Amino acid sequence: MLQWFYRTLDRFHTAFLEADRWKLYLQGLGVTLEMTVIALILGTCLGLVIAVVRTAHDQQRPGRRNFLLGIANVFCNIYTTVIRGTPMMVQLLIWSFVIFSTSRNKVMVGFIGLGINSGAYVAEIIRGGLMSVDIGQSEAGRSLGLNYFDTMRFIVIPQAFKNILPSLGNEFITLFKDTSLVSAIGAAELTYHASRIGGRTFDYMPPLIGIAVMYLAIVIVFTWAQGRLERRLRESDRR
Amino acid sequence: MIDVKNLSKSFGDHLVLDNISEHISPGEKVVVIGPSGSGKSTFLRCLNLLETPTKGTITFEGTVITDPKVKIDKIRQQMGMVFQHFNLFPNMTIRKNITLAPVRTGLMKQEEADKAASQLLQRVDLADKADAYPNQLSGGQKQRIAIVRALAMKPKVMLFDEPTSALDPEMVGEVLDVMKELARDGMTMVVVTHEMGFAREVGSRVLFMDGGHILEQNAPKEFFDHPQNPRTQLFLSKVL
Repeated sequence: MLQWFYRTLDRFHTAFLEADRWKLYLQGLGVTLEMTVIALILGTCLGLVIAVVRTAHDQQRPGRRNFLLGIANVFCNIYTTVIRGTPMMVQLLIWSFVIFSTSRNKVMVGFIGLGINSGAYVAEIIRGGLMSVDIGQSEAGRSLGLNYFDTMRFIVIPQAFKNILPSLGNEFITLFKDTSLVSAIGAAELTYHASRIGGRTFDYMPPLIGIAVMYLAIVIVFTWAQGRLERRLRESDRR
Repeated sequence: MIDVKNLSKSFGDHLVLDNISEHISPGEKVVVIGPSGSGKSTFLRCLNLLETPTKGTITFEGTVITDPKVKIDKIRQQMGMVFQHFNLFPNMTIRKNITLAPVRTGLMKQEEADKAASQLLQRVDLADKADAYPNQLSGGQKQRIAIVRALAMKPKVMLFDEPTSALDPEMVGEVLDVMKELARDGMTMVVVTHEMGFAREVGSRVLFMDGGHILEQNAPKEFFDHPQNPRTQLFLSKVL
């Protein structure tokens, strides 16, 4: 028993401390977080634009349909359908080996793929949030003579934000974990380094268990922070 | 002031307003009554195009507002509306609720609007609530705020969509008092309501609607004392 314990400790020692390998994990973790943040920003911007286009299109007055908005709406629909209807992994492979086949900056390809994927989901989250605001709110805004965008900006979006936040947090967590898929196209993030180290030391258990713990720890911290933020927002409801 | 011609509105197959023509003159206080589902709210909401009419035209001060080319925001700035469920903006203070529209539409500067808001709040005895949020107010207070929020745009006509129906009975009076005062000041008003006392006291004309038609209209005294249409008689016998 004790022997097994020492043996395991030794394996972890090889995987993490020998030849300063822990630096590779840190580097990988940095790339993972960087990709998550950039993809999240990209996804949120994309999602917001698509959500506003689709909501604006659905809320037009009959008889006053805007042609350009109609075209934009068709594109948004195609985008969400394709992205949500194909596997993330396949999308990443296409980005890497078809569209950017000459690019060597796989991290960039990674966050483009992740961001564009996440945009489709964020769009639906935001659209749901906008629709969850009582229709009377925008009616009141419009009845005062405010235009559509002012009504959205000052009245609907601030109220939708609270409803959007929990789902957006979940999307962040999903995105963070999905960065591990990017290792398949050779971007040097956490999972990539772990499997490389596993290959070099002929021992996969310690690096994989190790990074699983790292992912889990970060997700737990983030979930906790998200919970706190939501509680704060709810408290401000009871002002 | 408002001229409605051959107005029809249907939701899918359901015809809610059936070929209504009506005229509202400046200074009039038109009270619309009728059973639920009679189309009275839809009629009111068509007047500022919150509902888009299926057929017919609505003219406001010489502008055909049902024309798709009309800038409807400009028209709505001149028509105040008060809703059954108040629809105050819960994410803003009362002051901001009142000043948002005048400032954003360019009617007033922020300081002017703040001053106007204070005066309006004083008028409805809620000056101390300027920095409160809607959730902290009672229903009656919310509705009084909703009325002055609409007034802050200096509208030419005020539309009321069952303004007291969502209130506790003891709060109905305070809201009606504000509306009566508004009527005394000469505001043109179109009021959909179930408050027969208000209709009798304040209305210059009462319309009775059922099944998407205006079945009968008259000056309040005549209307309530000698209803002509059998449907009106039946309705009044139940509510009075």
